Amino acid sequence: MFVVAPFLWALSTSFKDFQSVNSKVTYIPWVDYEPSLEGWKVLIKSPAKGGVDIVEPYFNSIFVTCTASVISIVLGTLAAYALSRFTFKAGFVRNNDITFFFISQRIMPPIVLSIPFFIFLSTIGLLDSLIGLVVVYIVLLMPIAVWIMVDFFNRVPKELDETALIDGCNPYQAFYKVVLPNSIPGLIVAGMFCIIFGWIDFFFAFILTFTEVQLLPVKVVALNSSVTPWWSLSASALVSVAPLIIVAFIVERYLSKGNLSGALK
Amino acid sequence: MAKIDLSNISHTYNPNVENPTYALNPFSMTWKNGDRYAILGPSGCGKTTMLNIVSGLVRPSGGKILFDDKDVTDLITESRNIAQVFQFPVIYNTMTVYDNLAFPLKCRDFSKKKIEERVQSVSETLNLSSFLNMPARKLTADQKQLISLGRGLVREDVAAVLMDEPLTVIDPDLKFRLRRSLKEINEQYKTTLVYVTHDQNEAMTFADNIIVMDQGEIVQVGLPKDLFEKPKTTFVGYFIGSPAMNLFSSEVSSNNSIKFNNLEINTRTDLSKIKNKKVKLGIRSEFIKIANEQKDNVVNVKVIRVEDFGNFKLITGKIGDFEIKSKVEREIPISSDNLKLYLPADKCCIYSEDKLIQ
Repeated sequence: MFVVAPFLWALSTSFKDFQSVNSKVTYIPWVDYEPSLEGWKVLIKSPAKGGVDIVEPYFNSIFVTCTASVISIVLGTLAAYALSRFTFKAGFVRNNDITFFFISQRIMPPIVLSIPFFIFLSTIGLLDSLIGLVVVYIVLLMPIAVWIMVDFFNRVPKELDETALIDGCNPYQAFYKVVLPNSIPGLIVAGMFCIIFGWIDFFFAFILTFTEVQLLPVKVVALNSSVTPWWSLSASALVSVAPLIIVAFIVERYLSKGNLSGALK
Repeated sequence: MAKIDLSNISHTYNPNVENPTYALNPFSMTWKNGDRYAILGPSGCGKTTMLNIVSGLVRPSGGKILFDDKDVTDLITESRNIAQVFQFPVIYNTMTVYDNLAFPLKCRDFSKKKIEERVQSVSETLNLSSFLNMPARKLTADQKQLISLGRGLVREDVAAVLMDEPLTVIDPDLKFRLRRSLKEINEQYKTTLVYVTHDQNEAMTFADNIIVMDQGEIVQVGLPKDLFEKPKTTFVGYFIGSPAMNLFSSEVSSNNSIKFNNLEINTRTDLSKIKNKKVKLGIRSEFIKIANEQKDNVVNVKVIRVEDFGNFKLITGKIGDFEIKSKVEREIPISSDNLKLYLPADKCCIYSEDKLIQ
């Protein structure tokens, strides 16, 4: 009820026109109101023809989210494996402190990072660019990957690595031939969170882009003007969450297997 | 296959503190090529640390390890060509049973034909042939442990197969059969097998040589018979055998006799050079017999209880404050509350400061 109702509301609104939304309460298509595709058409029409064209921002979002997520997972998994399996000491700093340092990046309010990121990207000439956004999103997503994967690797018995070494692997082979394939559920969970957090970010997409590049959340918000176009807002909301729903369905069975479920013992 | 020398090996897990606690006190030992060894001791005595040092998972704080006189102390695990089986099954979940068994051979670039041949042979020995194409994760815990064991046995050229309580999760029937299989493998391929256990029966039935450890120290190495009849320390006497060895605090009374609870007991041990007159008399319950008449080394015992174990009776009695246990044939009737027990002089072990006087 609570999950499906807002979607149904958005779906029905996306097929309404100005009259059907603003005049009276309408529920049933063809009875209460005449369905219209206007809300959907606006999304793909070019601005010159009175549309908003979210196709390009859509692909921009897919590119930035996927690239940043993949890089974050690769780097985060390597860092997490090291933090889980080796003991680091530097003054008073220990493994747990390093893990906390990663996650503390997420504890900080995003506004704190906005000026440094802005200056950093403008200095290296990547402001208002996809690559610049990818760099920033890696910083945002990698702590999530590290945090999830450290916990995951801690639950993988170290005897698994040791067995691989005894069987003839070197430490790198033990990692990618044995530990990594056994960690696929963890990788999927971490990837899922990275995609979600990357996809829904509005703040940095808004601060660090202007005219050259736009991401989907910014474009959706930009739809709102003096007259709120509920029909196209609803349609854009639905297409925005669609990728997350598809990903969630595909990996749903892995989410419930976030740990190894005792499979190693 | 190799001769393994452990030369002055010691290990501590906290080397940087001022007075480190040693998980393994310095010791030297040689494991001969093709022999079967059992490392026996209570939990936390350093058995696993010793295995991990040999396999290279732990670098010893001191000493050297030599495989066929070649120093391998600094050699990484994968270069030592050792097989090790852990207490709990460790399998590669994402692989089939066949791939699990073949993995050590694939890592070492064996030919496909050889891999096939070895996997078939090991899977037949371990009754895994019908599961070869199944995902390993779908097997039961004891079948998974068989896979771990199989990965240890699949290489014929290993320096040694180290097993850390590998049969803990396996049911008793299969356990017995597997021990036999391991012995056969050892006899057939002359593979050095090192078996860690805290179960003395397992150690006694499996190994030619038993290494008894206590608190990071090797307290005795020997044949099962030696460990049973002549335990070198009171710990070994207590740890080996069921029930544990009878131990009585005594005093030396002459060159070959001791006194406890005002009873004179003759022994075959020369006690003339003993400085500390306080000693312990140790005797196995198996060697204590019921006597019909009073003579030397016969003690009067007040029977507390008699337990029938099916194949023998265990008498528990009191001599003053001391408790004594004796195993007797179950056919012998125990009628009286008072019993005469005979302690054969040649079976009496005398311990000074918990060490056997030879």
